[in-house]
Amino acid sequence: MKTNWLIGGLAGVLMLAGVAFVQGGGAESDAAASASGQPIAFPHNQHAGSEAGQNQMDCQFCHFSAERSVDAGIPPVSMCWGCHQVVQGSTPEQQQEIAKIQEYVDHGEPIPWNRIYKISDHAHFPHMRHVTVGLECQTCHGDVQTYGVLSERDPAWGGDNMGWCIDCHRNPPEGLTATDGSPIEQASVDCSVCHY
Amino acid sequence: MTDGIKRRDFLKVLGASSAGATMTGCGPSEVEKLLPYVVQPEEITPGVATWYATTCDCPDGCGMWVRTREGRAVKVEGNPEHPISQGAVCLQGYASLQHLYNPDRFAGPMIREGDRLRQGSWDEAERLLSAKIGQNTAAGRDVMFIGGHMGPTMGRLVDEFLGEVNGSRVEYHAVSSAPLREATRLAYGIDELPRYDIESSDLLLSFSNDFIDEGSVEDDRGLSRMHSVDDSGHTKGTFVYLGPRLSTTGLNADEWLPINPGSEAVIALALAAHIADGDTAGPYASLLETYGIADAAVASGIDEDALRGLADRFSAAERPLAIGPGVGGHHKNATAANLATLILNDVAGAKGVTVHVGGGATAASAPFSDIAEAIERMARGDVGVVLVHGANPAYSLPEGSGFREAFGETSFKVSFASAMDETAAMADLIMPDRHFLESWGDSKPREGVHTVQQPVMQPVPHFDSKQAGDVLLAVASHLGADLGASTFYEYLRAPHQTMHADDPEGFEQMWREHLRTGMFGMGMMGGGRGVDSQPVELRMPDRPLTFDNPSFDGVGDLTLIVHPSPRFKGGEFSNSPWMLELPDPVSKITWHSWLEMNPVTAEGRGLREGDIVTVASEYGSVDVPLWLYPGIREDAVALAMGGGHTDMGRWATGQGVNAMDLLPVHVEQPSGALATLVTTVTVTPTGERRRIATIEGSNNQRDRGIAAAVAFTDLGHSEEQHSDGVGHHDELMELQGFGGVQPVDAHDGDPTAYPLPGADHGLYADAHEGPRWGLAIDLDKCTGCSACIVACHAENNVPWVGEDQVVMGRDMTWLRIERYYEHVDASHASHLDVRFLPMMCQHCGNAPCEPVCPVYATYHTPEGINAQIYNRCVGTRYCANNCPYKVRVYNWYRYTDENVPEPMNWQWNPDVTVRTNGIMEKCSLCMHNIRDAENRAALEGGREVRDGEVRCACESSCSAEAIVFGDLRDPESRVSQIINSERTYRVLDDLLNTQPGVNYLKKVTHHDVSEGH
Repeated sequence: MKTNWLIGGLAGVLMLAGVAFVQGGGAESDAAASASGQPIAFPHNQHAGSEAGQNQMDCQFCHFSAERSVDAGIPPVSMCWGCHQVVQGSTPEQQQEIAKIQEYVDHGEPIPWNRIYKISDHAHFPHMRHVTVGLECQTCHGDVQTYGVLSERDPAWGGDNMGWCIDCHRNPPEGLTATDGSPIEQASVDCSVCHY
Repeated sequence: MTDGIKRRDFLKVLGASSAGATMTGCGPSEVEKLLPYVVQPEEITPGVATWYATTCDCPDGCGMWVRTREGRAVKVEGNPEHPISQGAVCLQGYASLQHLYNPDRFAGPMIREGDRLRQGSWDEAERLLSAKIGQNTAAGRDVMFIGGHMGPTMGRLVDEFLGEVNGSRVEYHAVSSAPLREATRLAYGIDELPRYDIESSDLLLSFSNDFIDEGSVEDDRGLSRMHSVDDSGHTKGTFVYLGPRLSTTGLNADEWLPINPGSEAVIALALAAHIADGDTAGPYASLLETYGIADAAVASGIDEDALRGLADRFSAAERPLAIGPGVGGHHKNATAANLATLILNDVAGAKGVTVHVGGGATAASAPFSDIAEAIERMARGDVGVVLVHGANPAYSLPEGSGFREAFGETSFKVSFASAMDETAAMADLIMPDRHFLESWGDSKPREGVHTVQQPVMQPVPHFDSKQAGDVLLAVASHLGADLGASTFYEYLRAPHQTMHADDPEGFEQMWREHLRTGMFGMGMMGGGRGVDSQPVELRMPDRPLTFDNPSFDGVGDLTLIVHPSPRFKGGEFSNSPWMLELPDPVSKITWHSWLEMNPVTAEGRGLREGDIVTVASEYGSVDVPLWLYPGIREDAVALAMGGGHTDMGRWATGQGVNAMDLLPVHVEQPSGALATLVTTVTVTPTGERRRIATIEGSNNQRDRGIAAAVAFTDLGHSEEQHSDGVGHHDELMELQGFGGVQPVDAHDGDPTAYPLPGADHGLYADAHEGPRWGLAIDLDKCTGCSACIVACHAENNVPWVGEDQVVMGRDMTWLRIERYYEHVDASHASHLDVRFLPMMCQHCGNAPCEPVCPVYATYHTPEGINAQIYNRCVGTRYCANNCPYKVRVYNWYRYTDENVPEPMNWQWNPDVTVRTNGIMEKCSLCMHNIRDAENRAALEGGREVRDGEVRCACESSCSAEAIVFGDLRDPESRVSQIINSERTYRVLDDLLNTQPGVNYLKKVTHHDVSEGH
């Protein structure tokens, strides 16, 4: 095949992008926040991780509309503050980052997070259809509950590559069931299911 | 050749290398921000639409449901519970979002300093106005409030405010029904507009009344219901149009009597005299004696037999209805003409049947004489402060009215316009009002209909606007007056609160219910339809009237008809690219103005379409391109209102000509209306020519049977049915001779049969189990009003391209209404046959576009939709070249980026991909709505998508109920029920074997169509 080398080249570019992936851990300092480019050094692992001292929160506690909307939702600032009025952090680094939330609350401004996971505007991904059949968030987003400050995508995430979606639509993980209770063997690979 | 690079491989390599180049171009600088809410409003779920009920702000007061996404209004729909709109609004209603997000709105209050306007604060502006009012009141000079239409509560506030400052209020409407209101007062002593029940009539005569063009959704639906064949196929009303020019309304008629301009009164009285028996005409019996059919024939130029036949039919009809001249027919005796039709209705027994008096409707019927008197007072210097709200008289009044001079000399002029217009441009202080979608208010178009106007979103933050009601309350408070509320919201709630003073909690609950339904009170008394407050009898008019043909000013050889534009109305909707690029329902011309002239007249003068001519009356002249129209009398020409703005934002300014420049100020007596059909003109060529910016290819079907019809008398006799057009076997054979079309086994034209035989592999193996989505479009119902086009643009992010691009044939509309003349004769009374055909992608089962796409960007979904995958499209345009319906449009430039300034892009529907240049696009059957319904069905236990759950934008906007979407394969679905008809056909299917998913139902005519016409 004449085009094999091209596909190889593309994979190479993707892997290079993956090298820059940062896996932070534990509490983050201001330096970590600025290195990640995020306005607040928000550690997903501290919130959702299951290690000792981590809080094992469900993803959908904060990403509240994943089960009922095309958008998973990001928590409003008031939701962060709802807990962090009380939870002030145990290290100076944590306290410093948590204090930033109050500034946003006080000024009535949104936290300008850098978006990490995004598929192209011409593709539509309805979260609820995927969540309600029993897919784990981690299937696409990777083990976000083990990551610190997110600045790059999980290398396993292939949302830029339609083949990655199609593979799963053709051979979904076992054990998925539709909302009417029937087992899911395949999802549609019709173009217009996502592109319209 | 097996080793050679194949076409698809070549394109693959190209695609891959460009993708690589794009990827290396990506850098950290392109990081997208993800902004959460600070506090999440509890009614908003990201990605899920939130709907609010409100009311449109035109006098018709249609109920609206507004779809918002993440706090932005993205689409307007009709409120199906509302008695007037019943689920649809007019095209201006759909386009109201473009006025909400109009980038030309004022950034804040503007205060004049010499020749310039500078932006000030609201406090400064309110203090300035208070001071000016205080000074003038002290000096004994008047404060005048010139207002257009406003809701009852706003009206009450204005009156209370003016009471505090000893001011006076003047109502002004560029388009006013004053003659009808005065005629009703003269005939029955009730100073209101009557209610015409078009829907229930069986013979409708319109005497130069263009109710569809004037934007009445209710009457548009009414005409469709009375005029289409009922389910049993047994009844179909008849619509006769009597007027010098066919408007959109007129084009729907079965018969056209091209009467002399202004001869309506004589005809109506002659018909009444012919019908009247004994003393049924009451006090008018002696008047009727002086009018005979012969007189009417002389006055109208219509032969006696036609008139006598019409009189006999009107007399025999069970539910006859005659409607007198509307704004386009306001000649010097317009009140008399409206009175004559009321007499005709009364004599024929229509009163209390199709004509109802006493419904409390008075909207938009103020006489011109009110504003004329106001101009006089301004000119005398009696007025110190003028406030103008909801009106633009500096544009919409003829030069001769003297408004500009008198207004200009008034010492302090205030405008509440939210965006620049000709009146605001002269003002000393501009206090930009909020758009109605950002405002509180109410509407009461008639008794029994009282609806809520509520903000559907936070005010657009680019503009520091303030609701006029709040401004008046603040100014009153500066002046030391207490109007009982500090905000207009409180003011609106107060009367309702008072009624429930003893139960505040119950009140809040009830108020929430008002906001949810959009209506005050649930018992709508039949929505004010057919309500006669008391029995009324004809009485002698208390003023002298002349029923004879009016005189026309000037010595020109052509009578000038000036009519409201179906798109711009009187000019208030002109600064909207959707309205400008919408093809006019009659002429199919976009953007610019044109002069309508009969082709016979033009030929006699050596004029051709596209010639720029000078139209001159004694009062002014304009240069405008000529458009030839068989639907206008040979001795008349017509110009639409709404063009020629000199100061109204980036799109309207300098676009077209202002027809009012040609008009004198003639006050019709006794109503006091401004006469629009009043002068003659001369038309002379300038020697220049231009290409008309039209989307029309041809007005003639050339026997292709695109818009087919069947005679009413032939219904039910399908085996011997004479219907025109469909069935071109000779032509087909001819094409086959050239190897053109090879018919395949096509399931005998069964629309549910899909995929084609031999194509049921892969994704299509089980395709017959799922739905096949499709449309049914009833040509007998479509009135050509074109609201669907605006709704489609709003729903699907269809860009506008601009006048120069339309001229080059690059318009991008996904849906157009084709208009074909079959029989239009302006020389004498005869049957009329004009066909409207909404044309969008036909979603062919055997689509010509699909095999020619080299990249599989267009293909068929298992559900029978011809899909267009934008990200696959490389823009070869082969598909458009191979489409026999010309429904594929190509984005030549970056229309969606460059044409759409902030914040107009806020209107974009987030559920639909915004396409850029180099992409082919077309109707998707509102694919996103199908997906949305599927998602909802999946969440609700994996149920099936219900019939009627998915509605295309065109379907939900159709007040004529002509379009229905659904599953063709489900025999119980509405669409299947509808196309199970002898009238069903599919355009060009017999000829080209395209097997469309869009099914049309033939128009039904009262005349014979066996000759193919």
